Amino acid sequence: MIIADQLPVLPIITPLALAPFTLLMPNGRAAHLWAMAVTGLSFLFCAMLLAQVAEVGVISYQLGDWAPPLGIEYRVDLANALVMLLISGVAALVAPFSYESIRTEIDDRQLPMFYTAFQICMLGLLGVVVTGDAFNVFVFLEISSLSTYALVALGGRLDRRALTASYNYLVMGTLGATFFVIGLGLIYQATGTLNMADIRAQLEGSPSNSMVEASFAFIVVGMGLKAAAFPMHLWMPNAYTYAPSAVSAFIAAASTKAAVYVLIRFTFTVFGTDFEFIQAMMTYILTTVALAGMFFGSLVAVFQSSVKRMLAYSSVGQIGYMLLGLSFGTEAGVQASLIHLFNHGLMKAALFMSVACVMLRLGVHDCAGFHGLTKRMPFTAAAFIFAGLSLIGVPLTVGFVSKWYLLQAAFEVGRAWAGFLIVASSLIAVVYVGRVVELILLRAPPEEGPLSADVNGEPVREAPLSMLIPMWLLVAANVYFGLRTDVTAGLAGRAASALVGGGQ
Amino acid sequence: MGASDLFAALAINPAVILSIGAALIALVPNAQAQLRRPLMLAVVAISAFQLTRLGLGTWGDLVIFGEPVTMLRIDPLARMFAVVFHIAAALLIIYGWHVRDRAQDFATLAYPAAALGGVTSGDLVTLFVWWEVAAITSVFLIWAPGTRSTFLSGMRYLMIQVFSGTLLLAGVVLTYRETGSLAFNEIGLTDETGAIKASGLAMFVAFGVKAAFPLLHNWVQDAYPKSTLTGTIVLSIFTTKLAVASLARGFAAEPALIYIGAVMTIFPIFFALIENDLRKVLCYSINNQVGFMVCAIGFGTINGAAGYAFGNIIFEGLLMMALGAAVFRTGTSMATELGGLYRTMPLTMGLCIVGALSISAFPGTLGFVAKGLIIDAAAESHNLWIWLVLLFASAGVLEHAGIKIPFFTFFAHDSGKRPQEAPTHMLIAMGLAAFLCIFFGVQPQYLYALMPEPEALADYHSYTPYHVIEQLQLLVWATIAFGVLKVMKWYPAEIPSTNLDTDWFYRIPGRGLLFWAVDATKAVWSIAWEGMRVRFNDAMARIYAVHGPEGQLARAWPIGFMALSVAATLALALVFALAV
Repeated sequence: MIIADQLPVLPIITPLALAPFTLLMPNGRAAHLWAMAVTGLSFLFCAMLLAQVAEVGVISYQLGDWAPPLGIEYRVDLANALVMLLISGVAALVAPFSYESIRTEIDDRQLPMFYTAFQICMLGLLGVVVTGDAFNVFVFLEISSLSTYALVALGGRLDRRALTASYNYLVMGTLGATFFVIGLGLIYQATGTLNMADIRAQLEGSPSNSMVEASFAFIVVGMGLKAAAFPMHLWMPNAYTYAPSAVSAFIAAASTKAAVYVLIRFTFTVFGTDFEFIQAMMTYILTTVALAGMFFGSLVAVFQSSVKRMLAYSSVGQIGYMLLGLSFGTEAGVQASLIHLFNHGLMKAALFMSVACVMLRLGVHDCAGFHGLTKRMPFTAAAFIFAGLSLIGVPLTVGFVSKWYLLQAAFEVGRAWAGFLIVASSLIAVVYVGRVVELILLRAPPEEGPLSADVNGEPVREAPLSMLIPMWLLVAANVYFGLRTDVTAGLAGRAASALVGGGQ
Repeated sequence: MGASDLFAALAINPAVILSIGAALIALVPNAQAQLRRPLMLAVVAISAFQLTRLGLGTWGDLVIFGEPVTMLRIDPLARMFAVVFHIAAALLIIYGWHVRDRAQDFATLAYPAAALGGVTSGDLVTLFVWWEVAAITSVFLIWAPGTRSTFLSGMRYLMIQVFSGTLLLAGVVLTYRETGSLAFNEIGLTDETGAIKASGLAMFVAFGVKAAFPLLHNWVQDAYPKSTLTGTIVLSIFTTKLAVASLARGFAAEPALIYIGAVMTIFPIFFALIENDLRKVLCYSINNQVGFMVCAIGFGTINGAAGYAFGNIIFEGLLMMALGAAVFRTGTSMATELGGLYRTMPLTMGLCIVGALSISAFPGTLGFVAKGLIIDAAAESHNLWIWLVLLFASAGVLEHAGIKIPFFTFFAHDSGKRPQEAPTHMLIAMGLAAFLCIFFGVQPQYLYALMPEPEALADYHSYTPYHVIEQLQLLVWATIAFGVLKVMKWYPAEIPSTNLDTDWFYRIPGRGLLFWAVDATKAVWSIAWEGMRVRFNDAMARIYAVHGPEGQLARAWPIGFMALSVAATLALALVFALAV
């Protein structure tokens, strides 16, 4: 069947071909519907792709029928199919969610441009994940990054600080991409190829040399910056805080995840863990970075007055968990890392969406807006609480599944202390989530002042259904995948055994 | 192992089903409180269905952090307790149909669930978890009346139960160190050389506190009568029976239990005879009845212990329900204020007498069938003194529970009270219990079929002439003794009084000592706390200085610094990559 043959390229080619038309749309509504259709199609293709990969194993797709290593190859196994499903799924939910929210935050004339950039951003992230060609990763990374800078800068109408945030992000993101491309250059010098599988074949068995070693260091730092690993996260809190709410929901859930995926991919299937220096990097650099992120990120989150900013710092901590799983270097560790990557996307998207609902009605993302939210916006409040519980890792939610596998992986490699640190840092999450939940549940809504009514001076109403439904779909996914753990854990387990063990 | 296995293991466990049901029922708003009892009955039915569906076996064999655990084990011993816990829970829910109290409704389901989880746990960690859950859920029943005295009593109860849990935890850890396994099987008090094991002793005392061993028993009389009418009955059933089941599994045929059990059967009788509050009489009776079971475990007749626990839950429950019905209608449980109620509560009176006959082991009742096994085991052990003690205690049961309760409640002097007959739902619950008393008494084979060691019962028959005659002699003489004492006016008259138990020693002189200790601890603590507070505040201030909104970690840094941090990381990464 023709569609099945072309499936790996469809999630990329669809937005690539259709997104530019968004610019021609006469008004925001049409652009919005167009973006919904495109992201929905991409999601559909990604889901079909995952089903196909789960059934037949690795799919190699040669662009233009040029055989690798000369031609560009898309290589889909369970690991990237799972991440693609997350990225396109969040995009497909943020697209319908965004309209009501974004209309109040940016200029009407910019709406078609916003939706174009949004689709391009998703396209770039999907491309980073799907490709089997190392240089192609860089190209798609730049595509997604450039559109993300634009998306963040759109927040400038509401808060001028979005412009500096976006500018800083641009400088830092470019720095990261440069490091990454330097790393690629070095590895190209060392092996003479850019196809991932081919690099692996060249490196296998050969002794290490300083070119390869330096290349790995550059790639780790470049991608660590994109993933906002501590201490290279400094661009991220401001970008997430001042970007339009819907943009925060998408990039928090999707963009750092793509970078973490690339780290996993390069560590295990491009370089391979047989190199001694990679073991040392994982033990000393990645573990330290992960643990520092887990604690510093979470502790800073405790003291934030803006809920968006708090969630951004919480992401620094959560990225720490993913890197920690990766740093164990075992199958169980990579499985835990992939599970948390997927699950964290689900919870953070839901959390940022609930902040977007508050932002829509009250015009603030400060803690003050959350006082007595149950009485004013009960569904939004409940979504925040459920997703927050998931972030903490309460049983019956996906967060628990993540922590569970992470703990198991830690005990399996004999690092019980890491297990205790995971639990200890989760307790900090209890504090920062609990702080907002306390406001939501126990405080009375403000009687006077600007927050006693919504932005138009009317009594505060629940968010519109177009926002509630996508948000609650994500909350439901948080619970569903928390109960049906075999889905994520099973797929991630198979993906991890393919990545680490080399076999499918 | 995966989290899904854990959820699967939890989902099939009847105790978890009951617990979740309890939590959901607690969510029913007070405006719809009348829905709770029917829902509770439905939850018990689901759990009972799950129990029958599972049959015998083990489930939830998981490896959690490298240690194998068995979260659910239904062997014949566990099944016997599980069955009777379900019967009791159902009867109590019906009996308390009129109750509209969220906390009590929750505890009436969650607390039996915890006891059920305890008896069906296959490893010590699971046992410990349910052990603590039972302590915490049951205290809601003691707090239910909501007065200061019940609150204090509940706190004392909780302290003792948590103490038992702590000992159990210590025992679990010690056992794990000795054997390297967390399986819950035979524990034993002594090792091969006959020396007492620390692990065994810790567990033994932990079980002993919950079973209310002599001198560890006061919490029963302190806490149980203070609960609500229905609460007392719920409490009386589960905690001590959980302890009996655990003792039977861990310390079967431990000789020390024979003597402990014998003392337990005797001493409450004297307190019960002079006690004026009939609810307290029945609480003493719990000690005495558990004594028989403990004795049976000591003799090694697990059938006797489990069978007697099974029977006792039903007939002691029936007695408590009948007394409770009288209290419900008259508002008092004092022997001096009750009496002559047979005129207007004939049905309750009749059902109470069935319970009384059964607890006195009258032939044709459940008590006779159950107790026969224990007395037989005592006779076969050729220990004359113990046999005599148990016979004497049996007579004592007849005096205080079999005669005193119905006599002073429904006959004796006429109190002049003319209350209504008990409400229908109470009559239904009591009627069902009475039916079970007689049914199992007449058809003991159904009880035997549930017994943990059916092979030991192969040539045992309850209704041999020897058994019947022995028991009838005992009953006749004890009844005559009561008559003579009554006619000669030697029987302790009903006097409104407060009787002191051994807990006086730790309530009055012990209290002085305790308060001295409390003051001393307080002084030490306040010094330590002051130091810690200063330290804590300093630490928080330092964390805030670094992580707070203006702290170095949370500030919006200039872009040059961001780049610098990345460069530093790269330098570090290169050092590690190239140096190794």
